[in-house]
Amino acid sequence: MTRTKASLLEVEHITVRFGGVTALDDASLRVNSGEIVGLIGPNGAGKTTFFNCVSGVLKPDVGRVTFDSHELGELPPHRRSRLGLARTFQNLQLFSGLTALENLMVAVDAHSQRGMLADAFRTPLARLEERKAEERARALLHFLHLSDRADTLAGDLPVGLQRRLDLGRALIGRPRLLLLDEPAAGLDTRETAELADLLLRVRDRFNVTMLLVDHDMALVMRVCDHIYVLDFGKMLTQGPPAEIRQNETVIRAYLGEAVV
Amino acid sequence: MSTKARRITLLVVAVVAVGWPAMLSDFSRSLATDGLIFGLIVLSLVLLTGFVGQISFCQYSFAAVGAFTVGSLVAAHHWSFWLAMPLGVFGAALVGALVGIPALRLSGLFLTILTVAVALFFDRFVLAPGTWNSFSGGLSSWVVGRPSFLGIHLDTSYRFYLFVLGVFSLCSLGVWNFRRGKTGRVLRAIRDAEIAASTLGINLTAWKLAAFAASAGLAGLAGALLAVSIGSVSTGGYDLIHSLGVAAVATVMGVGSVASAAAGGLFLVWGPEILRHIGVSSQWFNLITGGLLIVQLIVTPDGMVTDFQRKLKHLLGHRAARQAPASAAEVDVRERVPVRTGARS
Repeated sequence: MTRTKASLLEVEHITVRFGGVTALDDASLRVNSGEIVGLIGPNGAGKTTFFNCVSGVLKPDVGRVTFDSHELGELPPHRRSRLGLARTFQNLQLFSGLTALENLMVAVDAHSQRGMLADAFRTPLARLEERKAEERARALLHFLHLSDRADTLAGDLPVGLQRRLDLGRALIGRPRLLLLDEPAAGLDTRETAELADLLLRVRDRFNVTMLLVDHDMALVMRVCDHIYVLDFGKMLTQGPPAEIRQNETVIRAYLGEAVV
Repeated sequence: MSTKARRITLLVVAVVAVGWPAMLSDFSRSLATDGLIFGLIVLSLVLLTGFVGQISFCQYSFAAVGAFTVGSLVAAHHWSFWLAMPLGVFGAALVGALVGIPALRLSGLFLTILTVAVALFFDRFVLAPGTWNSFSGGLSSWVVGRPSFLGIHLDTSYRFYLFVLGVFSLCSLGVWNFRRGKTGRVLRAIRDAEIAASTLGINLTAWKLAAFAASAGLAGLAGALLAVSIGSVSTGGYDLIHSLGVAAVATVMGVGSVASAAAGGLFLVWGPEILRHIGVSSQWFNLITGGLLIVQLIVTPDGMVTDFQRKLKHLLGHRAARQAPASAAEVDVRERVPVRTGARS
C-alpha cells in the first residue's frame, strides 16, 4: 500500500551502537501527518533506542532524523519540543512531587518565556500567564477524566491514571507529533481498551500525529494506520495492520521459528 | 492551609517579629538581626536543595563574596553601601553560576565533593590573610559603617533590625512566589525527572545555572548585610565549617519550606546563646545540631518545621478543605522533598 500524504517525521538509515552491541542497524521509518503509526517488535529489538533517537535523548551514530523538514541533528530535547515534538515514557517519569495539576501546568510553563524575576515579583504578566496555564491544565484534566485528582501528587495516583496524566503532559503543549513509548505497559485488558479509545479521541480532538511503540498487539492493531516491525535492530517489514497480522516473518519473529 | 488561616498566621508572625525585639536589649536585638541574616543563607539552601535537589556546602563562600565586596568598596574606597551591595550580590551570583557549570552533570556525593572543594579553595586561598592583605592593605582597616535608608540612618540596633527584617521578608516572599509559580514548578520538575523535563521543552542547563546563581546571590546578600551588621569584615567567618553548619540546620528544619529559613537562622544564633545562658559551653552547639540531624532524619525525615507546618494545617482544618483525599498519606506528603542533603545517590 502506498502512502501519499505529506510526511511529518522521516527517519533515514539510523544506526546506534553501544560498545560492541548494535542496537539499531540501518533502520528507517516514516510517519505521515494525521496517521497513527505503530512500531512493534520483541523485547530488546531496539524500540526504545529508536524512540530516544527521535526525541533527542540519544544521538544516532549514523543516519538522519527529519521532522517537518527540519533536520534534527544534534538538537537537544528541549529544542525539539519547541518544534512540536512530544513524548510519553514507558516508565512514566512523572514529576512525582508535583500535583496532577502542576504536572500539566509545568508543561505549559516550559514553553513560556517568563523568567525568574517576573515570578519573584509576581508581575501582572506572571499572574495572567499563571491563570491561563491553570485554565488550560484544568480543561485537559477534565478531558482526561482526572478533574477530581487535580490536587493529588502524581506519585500517589494509581498506574492507570498516571499513564493518562503522562499523556496529558505530552499533549498540553499542543505538539504535532506525539511519541508514545509503550503506553499500555502495566495496564490490564479493560484499561488497554480504554486507552485505545482515548488515543483515537485524542487524535480527533487535538489533530495530532502519533508514533506508538508497544507490545500489546490488541492496542496496536486497533489504533494504528500503519505498522513497522523491528527485530534485532533491523526493520523487518512494514504495512497496514491487516497485512502485518498475516505476515509470516512477523509471526516468526514474535513466536519463534518452531511454531511456524 | 486556607487563605484565612494563613493570613492570621502571617499577621501574628509579623506583629511578633516587629514588636517583640523592641522590648529586647541591644545585644539580644543584634542577635535577632544576625539570626535573620543567617536565615537568608538557609533560604538560599531552600531554593537550591529544596527546589532543585542540588546540594551545596559552599554557601558561606558565596556570602564571603558579598561581604568582601561591600567591605572593600565601602571601607577602603568609600562607596555607598547601596552601590556596593548590589555589586556584591551580583558577584556572588556570578561565582554561583561558575560553580554551577561543573555541577550541571553532578548530584549527590559528587556534587558534595565539588562544593566542599570550592569552600576549601575559598578558605585556603581567596580568604587567606595573605591574599587579602595584598590588595586591601590589611583587613583591620575595613570598618563598614551603617547605611541610611530613605533618609533614616540605620544606626540604632532596632532600626537596623527592622531594615534586615524587611529585606528578609522580601526575599522570603520572592522565594515563596518562586515556589508557587513557574520557577518553583520547573525546578521541582527537574528535581523529580530531568529527562522528562527536558523533553517538555525545559532548558536544564539554563534553569540549573539560574538556580545556582539565585541561591548564591541570596547568600551574597546575606554576606553584604553581615558585613554591615558586624561593622567589619574578617576572613574567619566564612569557612567550610559554617557552610556545613548551615546545611545541617537547613536539613533539620526542612529544605522544602520557606518558613524553615527564619527558624533555621534564629536557631543558628540563639542556640549557642541559650547554651551559654544555662552554663553550657557553646562548643556543644555543633554536637547538638549533629544529634538533632540524626533524630530528625529518623523522626521527621522532611524536616522539623515542615512537619510542624503539616500538623498546623491539619489543626486548622486544611484536611476538610481538600477534595476527597484518597488516603491520609495523600494529605501528608504535599511538602515532601525526595532529595535530602547528602542522601542522594
